[in-house]
Amino acid sequence: MNKPVLILGGGPAGLSAAHALASIGQKSVLVEKEDRLGGAPILSGYARLVPSREWAKDAIGGMVERVAGNGLVDVRTSMTVKEFSGEPGHFTARLADDSTLDIGTAVLCTGFTHFDPISKPEWGFGTFPDVVTTTQVEQMFSSGQGVRCPSDGRKPKRVAILLCVGSRDRQIGREWCSKVCCTVSCNIAMEIREELPDCHVYIYYMDIRTFGLYEDLYYWKSQEEFKVKYIKARIAEVTFDGEKLIVKGEDTLVKRPITIPFDLVVHAIGMDPNVDNMLLSSIFGVELQKHGHIARASTYSAMGATSRPGVFVAGAATGPETIDDSIAQGQGAAMAALAGAPAIKAAAE
Amino acid sequence: MPIHEKSLIRPENLLTHENLEIEGVDVSGHWSTFIESRVVTDYNEALEDEIAALPGGENIHRCWQCGSCTNACTVNALNPDFNPRFWIYLVRTGMEQELLRDKDIIWQCVSCHKCTYVCPRDVVPEGVMKATAHWLELKGHRPKSPSMLFDEVFSEQVFATGKIEEGRTLRGFFKRTGQPLTQDWLVEMIKRLLRHLPVKLMITLGLANVIQPRTRGWAGARAAIEEYVEEQEARQRQALGLDRPPATGAERPLAEAAE
Repeated sequence: MNKPVLILGGGPAGLSAAHALASIGQKSVLVEKEDRLGGAPILSGYARLVPSREWAKDAIGGMVERVAGNGLVDVRTSMTVKEFSGEPGHFTARLADDSTLDIGTAVLCTGFTHFDPISKPEWGFGTFPDVVTTTQVEQMFSSGQGVRCPSDGRKPKRVAILLCVGSRDRQIGREWCSKVCCTVSCNIAMEIREELPDCHVYIYYMDIRTFGLYEDLYYWKSQEEFKVKYIKARIAEVTFDGEKLIVKGEDTLVKRPITIPFDLVVHAIGMDPNVDNMLLSSIFGVELQKHGHIARASTYSAMGATSRPGVFVAGAATGPETIDDSIAQGQGAAMAALAGAPAIKAAAE
Repeated sequence: MPIHEKSLIRPENLLTHENLEIEGVDVSGHWSTFIESRVVTDYNEALEDEIAALPGGENIHRCWQCGSCTNACTVNALNPDFNPRFWIYLVRTGMEQELLRDKDIIWQCVSCHKCTYVCPRDVVPEGVMKATAHWLELKGHRPKSPSMLFDEVFSEQVFATGKIEEGRTLRGFFKRTGQPLTQDWLVEMIKRLLRHLPVKLMITLGLANVIQPRTRGWAGARAAIEEYVEEQEARQRQALGLDRPPATGAERPLAEAAE
């Protein structure tokens, strides 16, 4: 039997990689630092996912079940890797409990960290209780509570969603587009309008980037069927007049300053590199790209390769990524991990 | 957040005071000119719903402000202030006062429908212009436009008789728009008609003017049309928060229009 593949991270990419390997009879060890599998969609309590609108606990929960119950996948939760050494086909990983694993190749599926909008104090998060993040709104839905103002539990009459919070902002060193927030915001806006038909939802945008097939399913649909309003403005500040949140900015289409009262302000937070990436970089000897994501060795010729042979990467560890693309990359990296171990190659020849 | 871009300052927002003292400082006169704030302080969500309730305005919420309509616009080519994209935005965000600044040009849409064909979201901007012009009239911001008066004369005649007799339509239109019957071009046209038209056709035309024939069995259709029109107008008045029908034209009994 081949040496197992080490998969670091039990989110969509890691679960997908583990399942792909198991389905062709390859053993793997799935190491997850949290106490359960599922990654961001489960740990952060996402509600209904784009684009299938399945509940995260069902969709990702299903992926967790088929991996957790598979004899070829050795799941280690609440566990991290301390040391990593060796050559492709003959790696040794020392875990936090000082046990060692003899492995062939490794796939890093270490995902991302949600941007913390406390770094943008002018937008009121952390200052006013009714300024929340998209993740918190997801939790309001997934908990069954519905969208309410945290300050007093009332149903909001008017909601502002601010896009690009923690994305496309040189001031805070985040020059990338986080890719998913536009679509997520359209989705959330529609869900709010569905739950609270009398509540008006405004999205403040610089550009709307609901790429590919999400254009009509999310952007158009939110406007045409749910009458979500889009205002082209990057908000300057969010204040509070004692009763309502006041959103200030410039409506660029009418060249006019705006100060609009809102009940609830939602930050569409971006995807940061995983806060552990520096550590992971030094443990696994893989390079990070300039934004702090795990660098890919080649865009075209080697799926999921990092700067270190035998160590692969998939999902949002490489940069902002959607769940379905992370799943595809997990499978791609699993394939690369199989092909990348000399022992396996030799067996095949 | 002051903006000192000169082009953005409107003359009516410049304020000077003959005698004004603020905290002991004399700020009278031209040298202490104030610029009134142009800040938008709220959205009026009702305005979009009102326009959407009028025929043609139904798809206004689809607009994503690309400006294709304004680019394609026949009238915009002649008058840069005629900007459908901008008005759609004002309606959607409820900037009513801003919209009213342009009340005297919105009705100038010539319905060429170039915007309809270029609009990627099928907003039908021409319809929105029509609905907005209609809204301005219903709300009393504008007198009825000549084209609206013509539409009324035309449709009232059809409703009443099931037929159109051009001479009567023209007379009714001139009457409502306060134009004299003896217009040079009309006199010339009638002269030429008399000269060239077959006698039989002239007799038919003349009789049609005197007898005012109706389509046979029209009463049923007429009742149905009247009911529908009343229903629609009541719905529109309700959507616009108008208790009573407008003071001229539309409420005129159909029978009277038929004369």
